Amino acid sequence: MTGPLRRIDDVLRGGPASRSWWLVLLCGLLYGAVMGSFNGRPGQAAYSASKVPMLLAATTVLGLPSFFVLNTLLGVRADFGAAVRAIVSSQAVLMIVLASLAPLTVFWYASSADYRTAILFNAAMFGVASVGAQGMLRRAYRPLIAKDPKHRWLLGSWLIIYGFIGIQMGWLLRPFIGAPGEPVQFFRPGAWDNAYVFVARLAWNVLIGQ
Amino acid sequence: MFMLTWWNDLDRILRGEATRSGSLKRGSIDVRPGGLTILLVLLAMVYGACMGCFAIFKEEGPSFVQLLASVVKLPALFLLTLAVTFPSLYVFNALVGSRLSITSMLRLLVAAMAVMVAVLASLGPIVAFFSVSTTSYPFMLLLNVLVFTASGTLGMAFLLQTLHRLSLIPPEPPPTSATELVGDQKGGEVAEPPAGALDHSGDQMPSRQVKLIFRCWIVLFALVGSQMGWVLRPFIGTPHRPFSWFRERDSNFFEAVWGALVGLFS
Repeated sequence: MTGPLRRIDDVLRGGPASRSWWLVLLCGLLYGAVMGSFNGRPGQAAYSASKVPMLLAATTVLGLPSFFVLNTLLGVRADFGAAVRAIVSSQAVLMIVLASLAPLTVFWYASSADYRTAILFNAAMFGVASVGAQGMLRRAYRPLIAKDPKHRWLLGSWLIIYGFIGIQMGWLLRPFIGAPGEPVQFFRPGAWDNAYVFVARLAWNVLIGQ
Repeated sequence: MFMLTWWNDLDRILRGEATRSGSLKRGSIDVRPGGLTILLVLLAMVYGACMGCFAIFKEEGPSFVQLLASVVKLPALFLLTLAVTFPSLYVFNALVGSRLSITSMLRLLVAAMAVMVAVLASLGPIVAFFSVSTTSYPFMLLLNVLVFTASGTLGMAFLLQTLHRLSLIPPEPPPTSATELVGDQKGGEVAEPPAGALDHSGDQMPSRQVKLIFRCWIVLFALVGSQMGWVLRPFIGTPHRPFSWFRERDSNFFEAVWGALVGLFS
């Protein structure tokens, strides 16, 4: 096996991700670029490429302070380093899995020009990748949980914090794919809104039948 | 320099070192309440700034006064709530014959507040992020209520747990004849993982009345705290309303939260 591939293999098998961070970053950029190539616009592809790593990094950074205090308060500060390593490697796995799914996305784009299904397909790819990342996170957490069962709760709380921020962050960083007919842009003007409010209104309108 | 020792105190409280039975020997938490209070004010200011971010991104232009007001008001919220509820707690506590003196009780409460504010400040970046990216006022209101509830719950859990541990400390040191036995027990304790600040320790019950009073007090504290937040409003700043330091006296906290919940869907 060649060097970079061996390193990625190492990360996937639970090795430390920090030494191969640039490879992992490359994977994120790759999937972002593929995702943004829906309309064949290089500008959108470049924007989306930078947004995927940004999405994951910013979500993690925003969530870490509260996770740190929570760990301290439950008396497992000593394991925080290991917990952060587990989180970082799960993010790395997320990006690597996404990159491995990139050819599928290309294939999908090549066979269908429908924007809505493109969104759903990408959502499915992110879903698959996060299942992979969670698998890694749980594996890395297993020794911690064996040491102290409180880590099980902490893992759950991390997933809640991460999901809560991540959904809004993804909503904020739109467009990732780029709707046909809309100009290429980094942020969508008017996108400055809240994903949860949007969904709540949508659900409410469906319920009362408007 | 002082700052560093205060941070150390806060860190020891959060890790649970300050409240392990060994450290509670003298029937009080070994921290500097003055320094801890200053730290508490600073952390509350940090959260106030995160909360006030919403006002900077208003449609009708940024309102920096609102940000400043939130920064000033948030420490006031905590200190005033404590000031309003502390006297009754102390009186009832002394009435049922608790061993806690007024200084050790004040230390206990300041420590619990410090836990609360530390959790609050650690959630600050998330709140700031949502403040910046959201235009929905009801959502921000509910998110802040949720964050306050989470930190309040943790702070109060810390309070009850520490109270429990304090009541387990024997009033006098054990007689010397039992030293060997105590030594043995200590040897056994070392094998266990060190207890966190929220962990249960021992299964003895403290004085039931003291615990009851603290439980009632926590309810009172939550009620006064939330209504205090209402009296001191605006913290976030309703869109399309001019800034004012205080709003007129009407309605109450719970009605407003319900209103926000309804407003989220319409």
